[in-house]
Amino acid sequence: MDREVKFHGMARAVKGLLSATGRWNSLQSREAHLAWMLISPTALIVFGLVLFPAIFSIWISFHDVTLRNLNDVFHAPFVGWDNYRHVVNDFAFKYQNLRVWGAAVTSIVYSFVSTFVTVLLGLIAALLLNRPFRGRGTVRAIFLFPYIAPIVSVAFVWRWILDPRPSGVLNDLLMRLGMIDAPRAYLATRGLALVLVIIFTAWRYFPFAMLMILARLQAIDKSMYEAASVDGANAWDKFRNITIPELRYVLGAVFLLRLIWTFNKFDDIFLLTGGGFGTNVLPVLTYQFSFRAFNFGKGAANAMILLVILGTFMLVYARTVMREKG
Amino acid sequence: MTHDHSPRSSKNERLNLIDRLARSITWPRFVSALILTFFLTSILFPFYWMVSSSFKTYAEIGSRDTVYFPSALRLDAYKELFNPSDPNFWNFGVNIVNSIKVAIPTAIVAVILSTLGAYAIARLRFRGKNLLLNGILLVYLFPGVLLIIPLFAMIARIGARFGFGVQDNLPILIITYLAQTLPVALYMLANYFRTIPAEIEQAGLIDGCSRSGVIWRITLPLSIPALVSVSIYTFMIAWNEFLYALVFLNSRVMFTMPIKISMIFNDPTPRPHVVMAASTVMTIPVVILFLALERFLTEGLTAGGVKG
Repeated sequence: MDREVKFHGMARAVKGLLSATGRWNSLQSREAHLAWMLISPTALIVFGLVLFPAIFSIWISFHDVTLRNLNDVFHAPFVGWDNYRHVVNDFAFKYQNLRVWGAAVTSIVYSFVSTFVTVLLGLIAALLLNRPFRGRGTVRAIFLFPYIAPIVSVAFVWRWILDPRPSGVLNDLLMRLGMIDAPRAYLATRGLALVLVIIFTAWRYFPFAMLMILARLQAIDKSMYEAASVDGANAWDKFRNITIPELRYVLGAVFLLRLIWTFNKFDDIFLLTGGGFGTNVLPVLTYQFSFRAFNFGKGAANAMILLVILGTFMLVYARTVMREKG
Repeated sequence: MTHDHSPRSSKNERLNLIDRLARSITWPRFVSALILTFFLTSILFPFYWMVSSSFKTYAEIGSRDTVYFPSALRLDAYKELFNPSDPNFWNFGVNIVNSIKVAIPTAIVAVILSTLGAYAIARLRFRGKNLLLNGILLVYLFPGVLLIIPLFAMIARIGARFGFGVQDNLPILIITYLAQTLPVALYMLANYFRTIPAEIEQAGLIDGCSRSGVIWRITLPLSIPALVSVSIYTFMIAWNEFLYALVFLNSRVMFTMPIKISMIFNDPTPRPHVVMAASTVMTIPVVILFLALERFLTEGLTAGGVKG
């Protein structure tokens, strides 16, 4: 029985191979042939420039690759776990104490907190835009501005707003309101810098969460709310017992997606702080190892550690959150 | 009587208006108006600050007091960016051209390739389709910084063999952008093609059209909105991209706009008004494209879950 299944599987595989080479001339295999022809350029580019490099990067992480032997990378000396050891013991990577977290811990804190704030803002914005009012279309378009504007522009505007001189807008406003006595260097103060980077991330990416949540909100069956009203439920009851359960899946999905992307994100922090003042995260550290110190092996090892942490998140997520939802 | 209405009736009207206003303002409405205002100011202020700073003079930008409104629409910063006779001439025009040279080919090639691939995914049955789709989705998982090291090494190796350089090579940048944009484009288009009833195509096939004739004469004309939004997306991703351009570009005449702006920002004598002018120049086309096609684009965003 088992063998039979295996045999069928093999036969099918052979058939597939034959049809791929175009020797199997049934209508179905002609269709498959055409499909592969159509998709092969895309597949080739994506696999050649993403999946192959990803695998190649594992190889690099175990070899001593620097600027000297970059052109002859396949003859780079094998160094075993050395690169990983150097990364883990690096001052910039390792957790030192409560004040100096190191890139690994900072990365995790940064991505979880900012993803949470992003999704929360997205939820508030979506609820706001879910009920009709005059100019709703315009407001929705404006809400998307932070997300579509070039990262370089918005990051530098924010740096300019947070300018440490007394004439910086935020300094000026807060001093006028009497909330601070002296100008502050927001992005050059440990702790404050991380908070501001998180706020920036939430500001920039909440529109994505908003759109996804809004799409789901508008698909909720209106009769459920009517039935609840008949039963005498107030707005809060309806929100808690209908809206939130209906949104659970999309909230979970958006949270995971944004968590992955935030964890991988390089530009935002690099442009805002350059990774200084307690905001160094793993992607920025990878860049520094590779393109400042030109130690590509160490950079690749750091990136692999990043990927392993990410994989762990996803596994835990799939085990707990997704299963809970069925 | 010279007055059209007596004071009493106008007072009544005013009372009526206040009354109506008071009745229409309920707590939930007040709270949502407050939240809406908060959102709108925090979103729009940075954009206002960008544009208004670009019209300030060097004196206004460096003054001790914050200048909230530029005294006039002065073009000092723009002259510094574009005008060769300005002592601090940044030659930004070259960088705009470079960005266009990268973004437009990326958009065109991405649309062509993803149309072919998406058609196969939406309409044709073939073995390994799900495996392939999941493999392409994996792209979402890998951070750009992980890929850039092996990409750099790979292309350096290939370039050494065939005699081209990795750095300052715009076609290489285009190819790496394709790898980033094709998965999104593929998903968006495949989702759209699925919404076109297969019966229309079958009718075409029965009437004697060839498969390519059906795609060319029926499917593509019906998909123009999706094709436009995919090309705008890929254009915007290439236009905005920072990391790959930072690593792959080396000389300032080859820089795309993001890298040049970052270079101006890091100039030893800070010139925020010039940075803001350059940022404005870079942001405006994106915002205009977005506003013109907002409806299509937002639909595509939720359908494809565009990476950003």
